[in-house]
Amino acid sequence: MLSEAVRSISANLSTTVAATMTVLIGMFLLGLVIAFATYARSWSDDVKSGLVVKVFHDRDATPKQVDAVRVVLERDSLVNQNRIEFVSAKEGLERMQKDRPDLFSAKLPYNPLGPAWTVYPKRAEDVEQIANRLGAKTERYPAGVHNVTYGKEKARRILKVANIINAIFGIAVLVLVSAAAILIANTIRLSIFARRREIEVMKLVGATNWFVRGPFMLEGLLCGLTGSVLAVILLFVSKEVALPSILPRLASDPGVGALGFWLIALILMGVGLVLGAAGSGLTLRRFLRV
Amino acid sequence: MTAVQENTLVTDSPVDLAEQAAPQSESAAAAARAMIVFDGVEKVYDPDVVALETASFVIEKGEFVFLVGPSGSGKSTLIRLLLKEIEPTSGRIFVGGRDLGRLRRSKVPQLRRNIGCVFQDFKLLPNRNAGENVAYALKVQGEGRNAIRRKVPEVLGLVGLTHKTDSYPDELSGGEQQRVSIARAFVNHPPLLVCDEPTGNLDPDTSVGIMQLLYRINRSGTTVLMATHDREMVDKMRRRVIALEDGRIARDERRGGYTTE
Ligand SMILES: Nc1ncnc2c1ncn2[C@@H]1O[C@H](COP(=O)(O)OP(=O)(O)OP(=O)(O)O)[C@@H](O)[C@H]1O
Ligand SMILES: [Mg+2]
Repeated sequence: MLSEAVRSISANLSTTVAATMTVLIGMFLLGLVIAFATYARSWSDDVKSGLVVKVFHDRDATPKQVDAVRVVLERDSLVNQNRIEFVSAKEGLERMQKDRPDLFSAKLPYNPLGPAWTVYPKRAEDVEQIANRLGAKTERYPAGVHNVTYGKEKARRILKVANIINAIFGIAVLVLVSAAAILIANTIRLSIFARRREIEVMKLVGATNWFVRGPFMLEGLLCGLTGSVLAVILLFVSKEVALPSILPRLASDPGVGALGFWLIALILMGVGLVLGAAGSGLTLRRFLRV
Repeated sequence: MTAVQENTLVTDSPVDLAEQAAPQSESAAAAARAMIVFDGVEKVYDPDVVALETASFVIEKGEFVFLVGPSGSGKSTLIRLLLKEIEPTSGRIFVGGRDLGRLRRSKVPQLRRNIGCVFQDFKLLPNRNAGENVAYALKVQGEGRNAIRRKVPEVLGLVGLTHKTDSYPDELSGGEQQRVSIARAFVNHPPLLVCDEPTGNLDPDTSVGIMQLLYRINRSGTTVLMATHDREMVDKMRRRVIALEDGRIARDERRGGYTTE
């Protein structure tokens, strides 16, 4: 059967090359999209993880009032209980001095800040609700609380952008996979159509469907494999050479990254193989009814 | 796999026309004995082209039968029915005692391996040389390499093409291509050989050569059914003639001519 496949590949070199190129292009684009999609997802997760609720106490808030807020926070199911940070007035001032030294050119006579809380949500989308439970919406805060912020506008914008990015890449993956599938099926159909008289003759001399189909499917398999391996090589080259020069900062950001390259490579080769073999096998069915 | 080789030398088995007139009443035993039985077979192509109208006849083992009739009279349709390429609209067909209507699709390759077929357009595989084309018919039934190496030269010798074994179809003349296709049809020594205008594309001299080849194959015991427009050949051979006209059997003569004199 291998010899039959090799024979048919060499006899129909141009269509075989066309089919391989189609797989190559399809898998290359698919690889790119998967890489960017997983990267974008990881980036938006990273940005989202920066969304926090901040509770600022009055300067003269009593320990009892501070404790009351703590109790509220610890009972809130939307709050990530492992990440409720208490920032004392002294710490707050030190952080501020470090962040914005320009504000502190003159020595302050006293610490203007009260103690504060930095609260992380379980899900970034919930910052607004957590803040509202502490009166952010009505601006009627619990006793001893001066202000509650959650970067209202910034949070909304980040969440919106993240959702859009996810949606765009989701659609792109869908469109690309179906486009690649259609393209490959079409190429295979053309190559089989060109050989349908041959198939007819094979069936007339008593070949079983599998005897006819086998070499075609093997050929499709080889096309799919070759195409996707070439795509992986191309992707590897782009990753190593092109990416660092275009987007030098991307690679250096820790905590943000695409799905592992070799995992993507594996996915591509699997998809290529299945598309090749199944594509030719399924397309053949129509021509085997002689 | 090639168990069907009871090639008894029955060149001129007598066919009683009276008996054929009522094949519907024929026993199953008679159907099993005969090579081909058409029992009230009708074929209507979509939407309403009647290609064959209640055709009934029996062809015994070892016969040589011409199928004649004007273009469009249903000759090719009859042959395609025999190969189970198409299904009859009604009626039953037996080949070698097997009811084609009851033959499962998966058994069709088996049927075709036992029917050699030769066509006007040769139907050779273009990217295989003569030897490989013949070998293909053996390969499809899982014949071993040794058997292939033995049988292919033998049958190419029979059709006189030993020296063209390595030539591709487009390097062969029409007559040579037809001889390759006959070699392929005969390499399994099938009990039945059907030919659809095998000389339709060939000049008279070449046609005579092909006919002689088919005659020899028939004498070795193979039943031959041949659709043809070759008036001269039919008149000269004086074999059984089944004449179709508009899908009906107009004539069935034991030693007939192309037309009734
Ligand atoms: N696949 C088909 N679909 C519809 N009609 C068909 C089909 N094949 C044949 N026919 C019709 O059936 C009739 C018989 O055709 P067939 O090919 O059997 O004739 P034939 O005797 O072989 O003619 P020829 O001598 O020209 O080869 C014709 O009228 C033809 O148009
Ligand atoms: Mg015809």
